Amino acid sequence: MMDLLVSRDYYVATFLLLGIGTYVMIASRNLVKKVIGMNIFQTGIFLFFIAAAYVEGGNPPVLTMDAPHVSPLPHVLILTAIVVGVALTAVALGMVVRIYAEYGTLDEETLQEVRGSE
Amino acid sequence: MNVELPLLAFVLGAALATAVLRDVLGAIIAFATYSLGIAVVWVVLQAPDVGLTEAAVGAGVTTVLFLLTIAKTVRPSGERVIERLDWPALGVSVLLVGVLLTTLGALPEIGSPDTAVLTSEVTTYYLENAYSEVEVKNAVTAVLAAYRGFDTLGEAVVVYSAGVGLLVVLGKEVFA
Amino acid sequence: MSESSPETIGEVRNYVESPIIMATVRIVSPFVFTFGLFIMFHGADSPGGGFQGGVIVATVMLMLGIAFGIDPLREWVGESALVAILSVGVAAFLAIGVGTVALGGGFLEYHVIETELGIYHATKYGIEAVELFIGVIVASTITGLFFAIDAGKNDGDSE
Repeated sequence: MMDLLVSRDYYVATFLLLGIGTYVMIASRNLVKKVIGMNIFQTGIFLFFIAAAYVEGGNPPVLTMDAPHVSPLPHVLILTAIVVGVALTAVALGMVVRIYAEYGTLDEETLQEVRGSE
Repeated sequence: MNVELPLLAFVLGAALATAVLRDVLGAIIAFATYSLGIAVVWVVLQAPDVGLTEAAVGAGVTTVLFLLTIAKTVRPSGERVIERLDWPALGVSVLLVGVLLTTLGALPEIGSPDTAVLTSEVTTYYLENAYSEVEVKNAVTAVLAAYRGFDTLGEAVVVYSAGVGLLVVLGKEVFA
Repeated sequence: MSESSPETIGEVRNYVESPIIMATVRIVSPFVFTFGLFIMFHGADSPGGGFQGGVIVATVMLMLGIAFGIDPLREWVGESALVAILSVGVAAFLAIGVGTVALGGGFLEYHVIETELGIYHATKYGIEAVELFIGVIVASTITGLFFAIDAGKNDGDSE
């Protein structure tokens, strides 16, 4: 059991990060913290991909270095996903700022009350 | 030699701090720490390209955007340092982690050379032919700009639409 | 910025003029900009590329905004210029991709440039051009998003 956990430590970390991200997204009432939770969830998935590409004793996928190389394909996918992730975060934060300008609060429950009373 | 476990403990600790800190500013700083830790994880996992991006994006740009957002809005105040535990949410996330952990035995060992990712034809083809076909020595760049160039164009257009969308639709009075 | 600050003294200002930050940014920003370009062009043979370099170039704008005030920087850049740069980046990327198709190859199949137009090492230059345009797209987008988030003021001038 312990051996299973240690030999797959990055996958365990991935699952825990997904759990933490989910918790923050659900539990936190502040909209900015929800966005942070989404980011943690996202990096958990990135960790899964990069860990899958890793090979023991491997070098980065730069061909001037000796074989074995780690797989380049997951790196490419995650590289673009990080940049798309920052665009996603920025759009979410832009909306958060507009919500604050409109309703004067970032608290989820207060926001529901304000919207319900309109 | 074995930096993995302390590093993962640091990253998970920073993520936990982000989750439980009540002050949003504190959570943002903990998140920047977390991003920096995860950038080191990428380097340990031999992904320098991803590590470079994460260090610039996660610890740099994202943190600035978060800080700018709370500067423009509010920070919830109160004496409590730690957020009150939300039991239903904790139940959901524990359930999620539990279900995911049951799949752990089916996953290959980290770093073993005969996993599906490493033995697949795609990986070996890219590594063998990247220099002769595309004339670049960094296989990541070869895949990014040549083999999967259409995919990259799609990503670039996603980034473009995010920028134009926020500038044109949300920020109507930005440049008024 | 320093001329306009007395009128807005009563409001909550996020910008604080600091000679230390201004001097540091003035010295550091050209080096960071050069480093960003280096990362962008050096992606072919070592870790790096358009996405990373673009983000680093964008941090120069973030630094300038923090040091000298975001509003003057936004006025100096201007929305139409930013959107124009962004669109040029996407259009140029698309043009390279479709251009290789027009020359009879596949999408981004660079070596047709070499065989059809006789440009030596076209594949390498093609990839570097694509990296440059990705960098332009990423840098201008992040700058734009930074401005857009900043524009949501809490001092009541919107609506």
